[in-house]
Amino acid sequence: MNGARSRLELLRRIQALEFTAIDLNLFLDTHPRERRALEDYNRVVRELAAAKREYEEAYGPLVNFGHAPSPDGWRWIDEPWPWEVEN
Amino acid sequence: MNEQRPAEMRLARAFVPFQTYRTTFSPEEGLRKGTIFPELYFPYRERER
Repeated sequence: MNGARSRLELLRRIQALEFTAIDLNLFLDTHPRERRALEDYNRVVRELAAAKREYEEAYGPLVNFGHAPSPDGWRWIDEPWPWEVEN
Repeated sequence: MNEQRPAEMRLARAFVPFQTYRTTFSPEEGLRKGTIFPELYFPYRERER
């Protein structure tokens, strides 16, 4: 791989970032003008998008429709599924 | 079901102080603990993990 982080490492990071974005979202729903929370949210979202892009370029799509192109063949059916990645 | 409860006893009265934004756990720690807000993390039993 072109130095991309390992598949499982990237998946774990994506999970953690997505969880954080969701929790910040819930907080911002009741605190929309809390500037620091919004800054943190925007930073997390940017890193999350970059991690997902890095994952998909190296290991194929994370979800099966409407999220990312699959230029080199339909990689969605390649084993393992993202949630099956162990090592 | 309500009949057994004495009339004057209120069903519930919640007091929820307004949360302020202080610090947050790291993403990994937040995912493990189920919240990114330290003030919301108080498990019944501190797990070893």
